[in-house]
Amino acid sequence: MDENPGLSDQYRMASPWPLFIALGIPIAELGILFDLPALAVGGLLLLCGSIAGMAKEAGYAKTPWRALAVCSVLLFGLGGLLLYADTAVAAEGVRFVARGYAVIAAGGLLLLGSLLGTAFVKESQPI
Amino acid sequence: MEINGQLALTVLMGVFLVAVAAWLTRVENWRSYTPLASGGGAYGQESGHAHEKPGGLIRWFTTVDHKDIGMLYGLYGVIAFLVGGAMVMIMRVELADPGMTLISNTFYNSLLTSHGITMLFLFGTPIIAAFSNYFIPLVIGADDMAFPRINAIAFWLLPPAALLIWAGFLIPTGDIIPAQTAWTMYTPLSAGVGNGNQANAGVDLMLLGLHLSGVSATMGSINFIATIFTERAEEVTWANLDIFSWTILTQSGLILFAFPLLGSAMVMLLADRNFGTVFFAGEGGAILWQHLFWFFGHPEVYILVLPPMGIVSYVLPRFSGRRLFGFKFVVYSTLAIGVLSFGVWAHHMFATGIDPRLRASFMAVSMAIAIPSAVKTFNWITTMWNGRIRLTTPMLFCIGFVSNFIIGGVTGVFLASIPIDLVLHDTYYVVGHFHYIVMGAIAFAGFAGLYYWYPIFTGRMYQRKLGKWHFWLWMVGTNITFFAMILLGYGGMPRRYATYLPQFITLHQIATLGALLLLVGGFIWLYNFIISWLEGPVIESGDPWNLKEDGLYTAEWEWFDRKLQTKITDGGEQQDVATDGGHESDESDS
Amino acid sequence: MAAKIFDKETILDLTVNIIPLGIIGFFVVVFAVYDPFGYDPLASAISFGLLLVPLVALAALTYISGKAIAGDEKRSEVFLAGQATVPGSQTLEEYEAQAEPDHEPAELTDDESAEDAETEPTAQNTDD
Repeated sequence: MDENPGLSDQYRMASPWPLFIALGIPIAELGILFDLPALAVGGLLLLCGSIAGMAKEAGYAKTPWRALAVCSVLLFGLGGLLLYADTAVAAEGVRFVARGYAVIAAGGLLLLGSLLGTAFVKESQPI
Repeated sequence: MEINGQLALTVLMGVFLVAVAAWLTRVENWRSYTPLASGGGAYGQESGHAHEKPGGLIRWFTTVDHKDIGMLYGLYGVIAFLVGGAMVMIMRVELADPGMTLISNTFYNSLLTSHGITMLFLFGTPIIAAFSNYFIPLVIGADDMAFPRINAIAFWLLPPAALLIWAGFLIPTGDIIPAQTAWTMYTPLSAGVGNGNQANAGVDLMLLGLHLSGVSATMGSINFIATIFTERAEEVTWANLDIFSWTILTQSGLILFAFPLLGSAMVMLLADRNFGTVFFAGEGGAILWQHLFWFFGHPEVYILVLPPMGIVSYVLPRFSGRRLFGFKFVVYSTLAIGVLSFGVWAHHMFATGIDPRLRASFMAVSMAIAIPSAVKTFNWITTMWNGRIRLTTPMLFCIGFVSNFIIGGVTGVFLASIPIDLVLHDTYYVVGHFHYIVMGAIAFAGFAGLYYWYPIFTGRMYQRKLGKWHFWLWMVGTNITFFAMILLGYGGMPRRYATYLPQFITLHQIATLGALLLLVGGFIWLYNFIISWLEGPVIESGDPWNLKEDGLYTAEWEWFDRKLQTKITDGGEQQDVATDGGHESDESDS
Repeated sequence: MAAKIFDKETILDLTVNIIPLGIIGFFVVVFAVYDPFGYDPLASAISFGLLLVPLVALAALTYISGKAIAGDEKRSEVFLAGQATVPGSQTLEEYEAQAEPDHEPAELTDDESAEDAETEPTAQNTDD
């Protein structure tokens, strides 16, 4: 039976990425808020990796690698902000250093992935 | 110790990421090969077409089809409703006795907070999204939502949001206890200052969860606005747009302006709690939070009530044998409510001592917003007037909606008047008033929709008698419970307390009795829906409600009919109708 | 063009929003003429802003939506809500022409033919 009578066949009905974007956001938020670098880095990798993958799948990007690089630039910016906040904040016992470095580390890993991907992964075969 | 914990977390996170990456490569691989393998039967696709839908659970985790996502939203909303309902049943039983008997006062506060948040953010918004995701593309003739993947992201943000909001209950440690801030999260209590116990991480987790649900709602609203503006079929002009889509469009506009504000306010609150900022500290901090919260909070009321009004406006005429009376009145009044809802927020704050000139302005707009709501009520009544009414279960729920909405609305008009509000503020009168709206109206309309479209969702029919039992138990239960609360409020019973003076005992016990009726009705509904899904009579025509007779047959049933037609020509693959836990009952029915 | 779109019929439809506009306008005048709380530059300005901003916003939205809806009514055929894409459905005019003559008497039927139709075949299914 036809689930979608009258709908063209090329319509895509499944994508693995949204679930992981939705998981990446809370994991990254938890990590940054509670100062748990592992969660912050992991969550950001999951989030940005999935965004890049989805951008490729949806046809907004030919390969995911440049999208990864863009994400890493944004993360460097965010991490820099956190590091700056650490010098600016006066409240006692509130430190942003670890958070800032965690975000920058995630950005670095993404940039590395982007470079490795561009250098070593061949163009996927046309289907 | 500390280092060990971090190390374990790192390893765990790493393993998780590797697992995800491995799984993704596998999925991406078979997916890119399926079209070549012409159908890829090994993955249990339902049809020979190239709509690549994997089989089994993976289908549900990876779907971007608006109908599947609608079903997921529905399942999610129902589960949240059961959780929120269980929470309030514990509270109501506790309130059968004036003292602290069954649960501790702090646990009561936790339940109170979670009940409100669960019902508003995890049941109300998702159950509306269930209907709008499933039906709006069908009714406006769109192929799918404008951004199908964002649609899926918006849904999948919700399960983590629920886990975070309930984290205080789910994580059994002394450090993380459930939030006891009430759903309004007033500072300074929610800022965690002073001697209270609200500085614990459970509140942070709840705020994060709420923030996530707000992100989800915002994504969904952008999607609906884009879909309704750009994806309509050519015939569906603005003049032909159905009333449910109009209400969803208005609701999405409200979400777009209201939820980001709540998100920002919550980020500020989190910063106050964790990073030493002072947004809500000092003089004016508490009132600032109230302004920010209610600038979101009052539109939220209309975010929740407009689409149910749309469902009622859509369903009620089908069983009245005629079209909606004054269709365009309903559309324009929906838009009016949408605009005016942003000008009334401080009527929740009349008792805070804000400037009387401002109070007077808010009162004026609050009075004005009553008009569009009343217009709708008259339209529903005149639609039924002299109509050929068929008292089916969805129709009963619609009529129940109108009835309860009148009581809830009229009690609300009084609250909009400053002198009366100053007397009744923070009493059970307020609780009774808004429960008439959220339970008596919003939930009733939700269930009207669930019953009305049950054949489309499941391909089967529910048991009619049980549906009637459900309705009457709920109608009676709702009115007993919440009318008793209105009377309690007149008597001066303050809200949010786990214990009370013995003089209130009778009315509290009556309210508990009503809540038990609601519980029984809820069980009947759950049983009915599950059993009917498994064994109910299979629907064979696309018009189970005989809408064609009155010329009221609409696009989603037409789609359903075409689906059934193609099923017959394909040789009747039954398993697709009963997607979840499919039951081979096709033979036993015939 | 605008004069044609906002004919008597459309204005009548829009009265539903003109009433709340009137209520707000009434209070604007009342607070301007009869000033029970005295004048304060900031509070009075906010107070009138709170009335005037919704007033203008609502008037604007009513105008825009009225123009969109009434314009589409004139440009293309109007169907009953939700039926535009259903093949063979009547237009609003046909529906009205058909509905007017045979004005049905008031009756409250509890026959529920629809639900019966679907549940009866399975009486054996639900009774056991």
